[in-house]
Amino acid sequence: MIELKNVTKYFRTNEGKNYILKNASLQIPSDTNIGILGRNGTGKSTIMRMLGQIEFPNYGTITSEYTFSWPLGLAGGFVGNMTGKANVKFVCRLYGKTKIETQNIINYVKNFSELGDYFEMPIKTYSSGMRGRLSFGLSLSFDFDYMLIDETLSVGDARFKKKSKEALHEKIKECNILLVSHDMGTLKELCNGGIVVNQGRIDYYSKIEDAINEYLKINK
Amino acid sequence: MTARKPINIFLAVQKALFLRELGMRFTISKMGLFWTFFEPFMQIMVFIIMKLVLFGGSSENFDFAVFLALNFTAYNLFKNILTKSMGAFIANKALFIYKQVKPIDTIIARVFVEVFITGIIILIFIIIGVYFNFDLNIKNLPMVMLGMLWISFFGFSFGVFLAVGNTFYPSISKIINIFSTFLMFGSAIFYTIEMLPSQIQNYLLYNPLVHFIEMIHGFYFFTLNDRFVDYLYMLFWTITPLYLGLFLYKNLEERIISL
Repeated sequence: MIELKNVTKYFRTNEGKNYILKNASLQIPSDTNIGILGRNGTGKSTIMRMLGQIEFPNYGTITSEYTFSWPLGLAGGFVGNMTGKANVKFVCRLYGKTKIETQNIINYVKNFSELGDYFEMPIKTYSSGMRGRLSFGLSLSFDFDYMLIDETLSVGDARFKKKSKEALHEKIKECNILLVSHDMGTLKELCNGGIVVNQGRIDYYSKIEDAINEYLKINK
Repeated sequence: MTARKPINIFLAVQKALFLRELGMRFTISKMGLFWTFFEPFMQIMVFIIMKLVLFGGSSENFDFAVFLALNFTAYNLFKNILTKSMGAFIANKALFIYKQVKPIDTIIARVFVEVFITGIIILIFIIIGVYFNFDLNIKNLPMVMLGMLWISFFGFSFGVFLAVGNTFYPSISKIINIFSTFLMFGSAIFYTIEMLPSQIQNYLLYNPLVHFIEMIHGFYFFTLNDRFVDYLYMLFWTITPLYLGLFLYKNLEERIISL
């Protein structure tokens, strides 16, 4: 279970405080794949980052016994001058992987990302699609209770999109996801439950269809 | 995923960051790598020539080249730790998406990298010294090493304090960079405090860095001593910024992470 208790989160703007959440409490049951819906700029990504504990509420607490991945789609922390392989190694070291585990992850990422010889080239020579493929493959090769995904299904060409969706379906069997997306089709396909974020409120729906209907109502 | 012990997480993160920082240093440009190791020699050459032109041949009772090498190594160690720490949060903010990477880890890793590189430079100096038959006898090696470690720690404690400040007021790093050049001339690097008139001595002794450098060369050369060094003053300047820095860091850590 993920529990939000009286969570308030705001950002300061020149006009005053812009509230993402206002004294919101919520319980998200275990073992559900959750889609996060909301209009642009309502704070979906911020909420996801808060669940991943890399952003913190101004007041209130968020508790959970689960491990969360870093937010996918933020291809952060790659060093342009280092090779794709060296960057993958770095993340493995951060998670304290053994030599054998690291080697397995490297092989997996190399195959999945289809970078070929570029895997041994500095990342600054990559196109943005190649970079995305690398970071997507990297996050798939780690095990977490929850994967945080920020609209990354749209990486690469049509064929790679299909491949990553299939890989994600496979991954969902052993872990849960929190997905931020504007694509209703993807949400329906991958999620059981949904969260709608709107004007400082946050509501949980146990059926993704209900969440989508509510979201469409807001968007009218 | 099985839970890892905090100390294991810390060590894994340190190892990863250390190797990454080192890799960045050595891959960014061949010239960068060259200058890392060549700059200290340039500094020493320039000041030896300057001294020969201005004051003529040797008048002091210690080897001036060794004296410069020692002092510049200590000063560069301090300055590099300070400036690298100062920029650590901003340079590494993309890494804070990995929640086990705490901002202060990036400072600690950078300190280790600086100490490591300084170690290599010292090794090069020793090889050169042995090859050219310089007198490398040290009066009190443990105290010299203590001085080196202490000056690193001094750089770290100031670095933490300034890193937090610099995150919210980026002009701090600009001021410090200008200031550090002046600091070089007022830190007993190309002279000893003993050589100066007492009027100037009193002013310079307010500079904490003078005490560190005086301690290091005072324990290195048989003909010098540490009679101007105030160890309590050094302690004060190490603990105060560390305490303030950690206090600010603790309170602002979450804001630094979500930068």
